[in-house]
Order: sequence, then structure tokens, then C-alpha cells
Amino acid sequence: MGADREGGARRRPWRAAAYTALGVVLLAGCASMPDSGDLRDVESTPRQDTGVRVFAMPPADDATPGEIMQGFLEALTSDDPAYDTARKYLTTDAARTWRPERSATVLANGPSIETDCRAGNREATNSITCVLTGSRVATVDARQAYQPAGGTYRKKVHLARDAKTGQWRIDELPDGVVMGKSDFQRNYTSVDKYYFASGTSVGEAGEPVAVADPVFVRSKVDPMTQMVGSLLNGPTSWLSPVVRSSFPTGTALQKGVSGLAPDDQNRLTVPLNLKESQVTATKCEEMATQVLFTLRNLAPTLESVELQGIGGHRLCDLTEERAESAAWHGSAKRPEYLYYVDGKRRLVRMPTGSTGTGSVPVPGALGEGDRTLQSVAVSRDEHSVAAVDDDGASLHVTSLTSDSTLGNALVTSKGATPDERLTTPSWDARGDLWVADRDRGAPALYVVEHGVTRAEKVAVPDLPGDIKDVRVAADGVRVALVVEKDGKQSLLIGRIERDDRTGEAPSVVELRSAAPDLEQVSALTWAGDSRLLVVGQEQGGVQQMRYVQVDGATLDGPAPGALPGVKAITASEDDRVPLVAYSDDGIVRLPTGAQWQKVDKDGTAPVYPG
Amino acid sequence: MSGDSAASDSGMPGDRPKRPVGRTAAGPRVRRLFAGGLLQGGVQGSPVLRLFLRWVRRPLLPVMRLWRRNIQLRVVATTLVMSLGVVLLLGFVVIGQVRNGLLDAKVRASQSQATGGFAVAKQRADEASGTNGTGADTAPATADGSTDGTAGADGRPTQNVIQWMSDLVESLSSGGAGAFDVVTLPVGDDSGGGRSPRGSGNVNPTSSVPADLRDRVNSGTTAAQSYTRIVYSNGKDSQPALVIGKQVNDPNGRPYELYYLFPLTQEEKSLSLVKGTLATAGLFVVVLLGAIAWLVVRQVVTPVRMAAGIAERLSAGRLQERMKVTGEDDIARLGEAFNKMAQNLQGKIQQLEDLSRMQRRFVSDVSHELRTPLTTVRMAADVIHEARADFDPVTARSAELLADQLDRFESLLADLLEISRFDAGAAALEAEPIDLREVVRRVVGGAEPLAERKGTRIRVVGDQQPVVAEADARRVERVLRNLVVNAVEHGEGKDVVVKMAAAGGAVAVAVRDYGVGLKPGEATRVFSRFWRADPARARTTGGTGLGLSIALEDARLHGGWLQAWGEPGGGSQFRLTLPRTADEPLRGSPIPLEPKDSRRNRGPDGSAAARAGQEKRATVPAQQGGGHAPALPPRGPVTPAADPTALPGNGNGARVVPRPGRPDPVRPDHGGPDQVGTDIARPESERPGTRTGPEDSTEPGEAFRGR
Repeated sequence: MGADREGGARRRPWRAAAYTALGVVLLAGCASMPDSGDLRDVESTPRQDTGVRVFAMPPADDATPGEIMQGFLEALTSDDPAYDTARKYLTTDAARTWRPERSATVLANGPSIETDCRAGNREATNSITCVLTGSRVATVDARQAYQPAGGTYRKKVHLARDAKTGQWRIDELPDGVVMGKSDFQRNYTSVDKYYFASGTSVGEAGEPVAVADPVFVRSKVDPMTQMVGSLLNGPTSWLSPVVRSSFPTGTALQKGVSGLAPDDQNRLTVPLNLKESQVTATKCEEMATQVLFTLRNLAPTLESVELQGIGGHRLCDLTEERAESAAWHGSAKRPEYLYYVDGKRRLVRMPTGSTGTGSVPVPGALGEGDRTLQSVAVSRDEHSVAAVDDDGASLHVTSLTSDSTLGNALVTSKGATPDERLTTPSWDARGDLWVADRDRGAPALYVVEHGVTRAEKVAVPDLPGDIKDVRVAADGVRVALVVEKDGKQSLLIGRIERDDRTGEAPSVVELRSAAPDLEQVSALTWAGDSRLLVVGQEQGGVQQMRYVQVDGATLDGPAPGALPGVKAITASEDDRVPLVAYSDDGIVRLPTGAQWQKVDKDGTAPVYPG
Repeated sequence: MSGDSAASDSGMPGDRPKRPVGRTAAGPRVRRLFAGGLLQGGVQGSPVLRLFLRWVRRPLLPVMRLWRRNIQLRVVATTLVMSLGVVLLLGFVVIGQVRNGLLDAKVRASQSQATGGFAVAKQRADEASGTNGTGADTAPATADGSTDGTAGADGRPTQNVIQWMSDLVESLSSGGAGAFDVVTLPVGDDSGGGRSPRGSGNVNPTSSVPADLRDRVNSGTTAAQSYTRIVYSNGKDSQPALVIGKQVNDPNGRPYELYYLFPLTQEEKSLSLVKGTLATAGLFVVVLLGAIAWLVVRQVVTPVRMAAGIAERLSAGRLQERMKVTGEDDIARLGEAFNKMAQNLQGKIQQLEDLSRMQRRFVSDVSHELRTPLTTVRMAADVIHEARADFDPVTARSAELLADQLDRFESLLADLLEISRFDAGAAALEAEPIDLREVVRRVVGGAEPLAERKGTRIRVVGDQQPVVAEADARRVERVLRNLVVNAVEHGEGKDVVVKMAAAGGAVAVAVRDYGVGLKPGEATRVFSRFWRADPARARTTGGTGLGLSIALEDARLHGGWLQAWGEPGGGSQFRLTLPRTADEPLRGSPIPLEPKDSRRNRGPDGSAAARAGQEKRATVPAQQGGGHAPALPPRGPVTPAADPTALPGNGNGARVVPRPGRPDPVRPDHGGPDQVGTDIARPESERPGTRTGPEDSTEPGEAFRGR
């Protein structure tokens, strides 16, 4: 016992010293900046909105017609939701009949007022006609579809002096709004709304394929509600023949709904004027999928959507995970491998997430390296591969299994030089393989349905020249064509129309320019649901790489860093996958937030599936 | 011997009137405020207010009491308050400094940024107007100098600045997302192209820029700055900001106002960090200072409290108490000095006690020793006296004288023995309930012959009701007889009134005569041993000079008071007050010490009739009313005669205070030492050297003043 007590007594000062030392260490820790510590998630802080807002002012008393016009034009650039301030510049009748949402005209430098607005009019007259002019860049139609346009804008605006008040007001004006290009870029934003390709489904479950339909909405005026409304209104006219909406005709938001916004749990409730009996569960799920895909453009953190019927009844709800499985969506499919042809003429592949340079040959015939491959294309499900060999003379399709063999050529070209033979093939989500023959004598665009049957020639009415390159979009309803005429190349987007009942080959119709200012397109790839990455050059410019919106709008986003001598480029719809190019330095890739990295000096023809 | 203890004890009640006086004097102003301002004002106001004040005051009383008594609490509270003040002051200074420093840096940085921005805006306007000139030919919209009157100041109104302005604001603000925002406003009520307010970062331009800054900017071309609150249009909280503005021209040469708004969010955060730190630190400092003060004061206060306790016990008579002394500091020195003082005191007191005891024994012994020869002398004198008829007249006269003086000698000796019994504390009280009327009747009856001789009538007042008290009948009778005989002897043939009353736990008998009375100061001296008002005729009246002393001792033995009052030529009054039960302390007397018919009360032209009436009026309530009016000390000075607790200092009244805690009478050794002290202070000069009893005429007064 005595020994115990002794030990305890001895331990006590030792313990006190330990506590003191601990306290000193803790205090010392408090007195300096920490150099280690626990891990913690960084909460995303909302990005600072630096956008300029114009606060429209009502017309001043006794303003001159010129001032009225200027003030009106300025009020059009404001964030006024219904242009109430702008309407104050109009006479009562004009304010009632004017429809600003009918269109938006984008002028290069904004509208100018022609001189005769003031000149040649006497003080006594009570009526003045002004003329707005400018050089047109684009128009946005009533369905908010953007369309590049050219030419001169010239519209008459009539002002009258109010008999009672003696104030000048606009009494005749064209519908829609007009503004300069930078004002348009500030006030409008491009958002993809999603529909489903009609008659197309992929996979064993028969998922519908989501098609992006870019529209422009006013970014500061309740964009969510605007987007839902636009989605319910239906697709833009160019796309409408080939897509379907799951919403029954006449579906709209319930009256008075505005300010839709996700709640704290990133849920969004959309009240619709639908009765429960009108919708089946699968339809409702499709509708929710459309809403979710659409709104995730505006609110990337949105996690689930709930549709509400009349009286607040829940129709259905859908989380993001379910939505990804309910519909096939290009930008949500991350490719597994990057494929290219290495220096030993083998087709090799490397995982997309890889940061190294290690690659392995693909199983099957193409991995053995006994053929000269000009270009390859891997199907979206990464089961089949199409290869153009013999200097572009023939197209073969084989599967990516170890016992596969290269079958007969599906398409052959009789072009004189390799440049006049087959282009790089391209797959869409339903498994159709597209390729163009550049033979000057018999140019043609072919499609190989499901990659196995015979190639069919695709009709392209109104083709302005020769097809030099072709890339079909993942959704299979849009195809990007590079068309050359008189030495000038242009990038065109065409709509693929199929008539499944007749069994005839599809046709590509209503070609429209996606990049009017480009003169030369040396490489292109789809890089998003409605976005292309193009290597080309403008008139008198140098080769550059840039993103192009399918409707022809210019995108604000930064272009990838410059790269000399790009011959081929490939990207995935999923923008987290690094961009890969074939340039003077061989195959290089551009991971997010980094510089170009060399992958294989001797490699050629890099492709992601598609 | 018993007289010593009586004198020493009489000091205890003597403290009583002092203590409240001392407390009120030492009481803080707060008390006076409550007593005088709040409470009395409340009394005069409304009872509701009074109740409220009492309700408020009640819980505060213990706190105030603690505050008054606890020096530690006071020091800690003062420390807390003062350190809080210091911390607050320091905090304000530091926060002010930090704020100024932060603002200075911010303002300097902001000014250079804004100046750069103004320059850029001007440069861009110049560029735009330059390109406009070259592009004027191609752009169909460009006008070349219209002469239309409506154009007015618009030199080139068709220069489209709507988009240009928005671009400008965007490019200026893009440099500082979060750091600053840019706002343009029209000059005055200017309207037209580009004149709408523009703001980046959701700033509401019109409400964020103060109006006086706009006036200043409009009135000149220099930049001006101000502080403002940014109001956001997207529901974000508004925040303080520095705004710098300048008037700038657009490409058309028309001026507009350009403002840079620098939110002071970061500075506010820094400042609130400093504030929080200071508040926390200040709180800690205050609390710690309070704790430190508490500890430090406790080190000082604990020994002081110990010393105070020891001193209290010492003053209560426990002379053997000593302080514990540890260390060598100031407290230890205080303790040593205190202990030395206590020891000296104890020694001196012991010495004096011994001396006093010796003297008392000596007196007692002398009295005893004188008795034996006196008996012999008495017998011889009786024989001579019997045979005086046979003597010649001179011798016969001598024989008579011898017998008279022997009588006197014997009674003197008896008185001396009696008083020495008191001094020795050997006097025992045999108290039983008696009716004082019986005693008074016997005494008056005994004094009748003397009164008849003197031609004096003795009246008894207040004997309608029994006046019962627990008392020793023999002693009370001795006291009263002494008083009545004295009154008759000094009454000069005028009436003697014996008054009785009972009230409030006390009974009193007052004997009033209208003789020569007492001179000022004599009222206290009458109880001194061997004191006589008129030494010239002293020996003729046959008193021993110890009667009143013995009476006083008797009164004290009962725990009662014997007090005298007199005025020259106005007679005197002696009042005996006894507690109704033996051990009950006295709080007052039913009969005022100064009678109603005193000259002072009567006034200068008072008559006998008035005197009689007043006397009656004064005594009747004392007898019948249960005694509350005269028994309780009146507050006002209007009726000084009714004040039984009046101090001797108020003129010619004397009061001998009771001794509640009478020490054990069987231990006369521990009698009060004060008696000895006064004895030494006033050596005997008048009486023969054998007198050892105190004769100082001021003795009773000093006796209780000394303690």
C-alpha cells in the first residue's frame, strides 16, 4: 500500500507537468497560422454577378422626339420584365398592341436613328416618322430560336404629339425589340431545352434520346420560369419535325406562377395545368426528365423535379439519377476509352480518365496493326468500330471482340486521291454510321443503319456544294456537314428526317449555317448537346479553334488554347473529358484547367466514341 | 464592593443611546436619501408610492447592509467599475484607431482605382467619338450637325451611346468583381440615349448614391467622395460603402455621372473582429481584475477581521484574548502592538482590582473592628446618660451629646457596613411581587411625625390602582423612606408629593418637593457618598450622607433606576423606576423625570394653580393610560419633561442607568474596576482618611460615560 501511494504521489507531478506542456502546446498552436488540420468540404459560393443592369427611366416631360426614341431604345435594354417602362414611351393604343416578345433583332452596333427623325419637320407638326437602322446580326423569333442574319435593318417608327398633354409618344412601331450585340449578350442567355427524338430509342430498355434545342431567354428576368414556359410551348420550328414533346398539347404553367427556383434541397416544384388523369406515369417521368434536363442548364445543382397538377396534386417526381436512366442524354454519357491509331498502325485505346500515356491495343482485328488505317470511329456503345483504310477507299465495320475479323467493305470510294475519298465516319446513338464520299465524280453521303446493313445514300436537298466532312450528333437528328463551294468551306447543320414507315433512306434537310464567318473548316467534333468544336479560319484570319453553337450564336466561353497544325480533333459531349487533337506534335490532349499535353507522338486519328 | 460591579455594568446600557447615534453618523448618504428624501417624501406623497418604495427597498436592505459592512465587497465592486471604465475607454480608442486606419487604407486604394477608372472612361469616350467621325460616312445613322432647334445641346445625338454606356460600365466593373461596382447616372434630369441609370453587380443606382454627392459632382468637374449604403436590387443586404464620383463626358460630349462604389464589407468584418476580440479581452480583464482584487483584499481583510473580532471580545471583558501573530508584515506588527496593549491593560486592571479589593476589605474590616469598642463605649455612655441628672448641667449636656453622637456613629457604621456589602457584591435581592402602595403607605406613615414637626403635608398621587412589581420590599421601603424623609427635611414646610405609576413593564415612584431644590450639576452628585448640598448645616440634620448612595445601590440591585431632578428654588424630584419583573430590562419610566410643574415647563409667569393643573395633567395619563405615552421616548423635543432617557447633559436631570447583566454577586473579586479608577482620580480631601469609598460628585455620570 505504501508503495502504491508512493507511486501515485510520483505520478501526480508528472501528470501536472504533462497537462502544462499540453496547454503550452495548444496555446502555441493558437498563436500561429495552422499548417495542418482537418479536412472539410468547401461550400460553393454563388458567383458574383457583375452584369450591368440598365434601370429604365420613364420619358421626361417635354422630351424631344429624338430623346423619346433614345429613351425607348434604352428602355428595351433594361431588365424590365414586361417592358413596362418602355411602354411609357408609347401611346396608349400602341402600348396595348405592341408585342415585344414577338422577336428580338440584334444589330451590330445597336439601332441608330436616321436623320429625318428631326430634320425636315416643323415645330408645328404633330407627327414625325423616325427610321431605325443598323446592320443586322441575328434575330430571335417568337419561339426564341436564334438565327444568324445579315443585311441592313431598317424600320419606321412613327411618333405623334399627344393632343392633350402635348408630349411626344411613339404610336407606330414594329413588334419585338431591337438592341445592339453586346446588349443582347448581356441580357440574353442561351439555354438548351430538351425534347425527344421522334421514333428513336436506344438500348435494351428503349430509352428515348434527348435532343437539345437551344433558345435564348432574358437572363435576368426569371429565366427558370421562362425556360419552363418555353419548354411547354414546344420545340423551335427548325427542330419540331423530328422531335416530340412528352407534354400534352396545351400544357402550360398554372396561372400566376412565376419565380420558379429550387429550394434548399435543390428540389424544384413545377405546377402545371394538368389533371392527374391526363398523364400516365411513364409520360410524366418523361416530362419531368425534360424539365430537369432543361433546368440543369440554369441551375447545375438541381437534383430533383416534382410536377404538380391542378390543385397541387403531385403528378410525379424525378431525381437526377433516375432521369439519366430514363432518357439517353449525350452529355451524361462519359466515354470509357480514347481510341487512336498508334505508330505501329494498331488501333489502341486508353481510359479517358488516364493522365499517363499508356495505351493498349483494342481486341480484334484492328488491334493487330496489319492495315493502314486512315480514320476510325467507335460506336457510342463501344462495341463496334468503323475503320476507313486503303487511303480512304473503303469502310469496314468490325466489333471490338478478340475474335472479330474485318468484314467486307460497306462503302468504297473511287476518288482519285485520298482527299477525294471517304471522310471520317461518325456514329450516332441509335447505332447508325455516317460517312461521306468526297469523290468529285460521285459525291455522296451514306448512312449504314445500325452499322451492319448495306450503306444507303442519303438525300441532301439544297446542298450548296460538296461535302467535305460529316459528323452526326449523338441524338441522331442533327448532322454537321462541312460543305465546300468555290474553295470556300462552310459549316452547316442539317436535320435528319427519317420516314420509318416507308423504309426509305433518311434525308438531311434545312441546312443552316452554324458559323457564317468561317471560311475554312479543317476539323470539327461535337462537344456538347448543341455545341461543336471547330478548327477553322475566318476570312483573312489564321487557323483557330473555337466553339460554335448549332444555331449560329457566338459563345462567350473561352476557346481552347491555340495549337498549331491541327488535323483532327475529338471531344465528347461530356465536357469533363479532356479534348484530344492530332496536330504537328502528334496526339495531344487538353485536360480541364491545364495546358496541352502530349499523348503519343506517332499516333494518328484520335477518336472518342461517336 | 458591590458598588464597583454596579458602576462597571452601568456602562453597558450607557452604550445604547450612543450606538444608534454612531450608526446614523457613520451611515452613508444613501441612508439619508432613503430616510429623508425618498421615504419621507413618499410619506407625504401617496401611500401607494410609499408602499412601492418600501417594496423596492426591502430586497435592497440586506445588500446595502452588506455594502456598508463589507470592505472587500466595496473594493471589488470599485475595482470592477473602474476597470470596466478603463476597458471601455481603451476599447473606444482602439476601435477608433483601427477604424480610421482601415478607412484610410481603403480610401487611398479606392481613390487611385476610381481615378484610373475615370481616366479610362474619358479615354473610351474620346476613342468612340474619334471612330464615329471616321465612320460617319458609312453609317447611315450618323448625322452631320443638324440645325434643328429641337436638337438643342445635342451636337451629334445620333451617336448611339446606349450600347456604348452599357459596354463601358461592364468593362469598368469587370475589373473588380466584388471589390467595387460601377454606376452611371444622368446629370440632373437629363434624358435620352444612355441616360438611364446603369449599375453593375445588382446595385440600385439611384438609391445607392447620396443626393448631396450628386449635387457636388454636378457642380464641378472634380471627383468627389462620400460614404453611403449600397442598396441591392436582388434582395441582398445593403452594406456600407465608399462612393467616388465624377462627371464624365460621353462620346457625344454630353456629361454623365460616373460613380465607383467600394463596399466596406471587408473593413466591417475586420472591425467587428477587432470589436469582438476587444470585448472578449475586456471582459476577461474585468473579471480577472475583480478576482485579483478579491484575492488581494482578502489577504488584508482577513487579519483585520480577526483583529476586529479579538478587539470586540477584549472590549467585552475577556482580557485574556490575544491575536495570532504570524510573519513580520504590517499586520503582524499591528497584532503585536495590539497584544502588548492588551497585556498592559490586563496587568494594570488586575493591579487596580487588587488595590480596590484591598481597600474595600479594609473598610469592611474597620467597620467590624470599630463595632466591638463601640459597643463598650455605648454601654458606658448609656450608663453616663442614665446618670446625667446627677451631673452638673455642663456635664449633663456633654452626656447627651455623647449619646447623640454615638447614635449617629452607630448608624454611620451600619450604613458603612451596608454599603461595603454592596461593594463586595454580597447584597442579595429577595424579590417577590409587592404592591408599592403598601410600601408607600408605610413610608408615609413613618414620616408623618417628622412632617408634622416640619409642618409639611405629604400627598400621595396615583394610588387608585395597584402598582405591583417584583421587588425586595425591605429595600424598596428603605429607598422610599430615604427619599420621603429627605424631601420632608428639604421641603421647607411645603407639600411633598409622592407619585406612583405603572406602564410598559415598569413601575415608578417619584417624590416631589418644593424646597430649595438642586443647583445645576447637583442632580448627579446627590448620589455621591458623603455628599451634602450645604456642608454648613450638614451635621445638624443627622443624616449619614450615605442614604442616597445606598438607595441608588438598592435601585441598581433591582435593575431599576434612581434619578434626581431639581432646579434652584423650584424644588426637586427623585424618581425610582423598577422593572415589573425582576430580570426585565428597563426601557422607560412611566413618570417623566422633570415634573410638569417645573419652572421651565411652567414658563416665567406660571402660577401655582397652573402648576397644580399641569401636574395633574401630566400625571393622570401616566397612571391610567397603561403608560404608553410617557413610557415610550417621544420623538420631538416639545416635551422634554417626558423623556425618561434624557441624558444628564440636558440640564439638571440626572439619571442612573440600570445594570441588566449583573455579575455574580458571590464573586465580589471581579467587580467593576471603574470604581477604583475614579477613586484614584479623585483623592479624598473632605472626609477623614479612613474613607475609602468614592466621593467624587461626578461619579455616576462618569461611570457610565467612561464605558
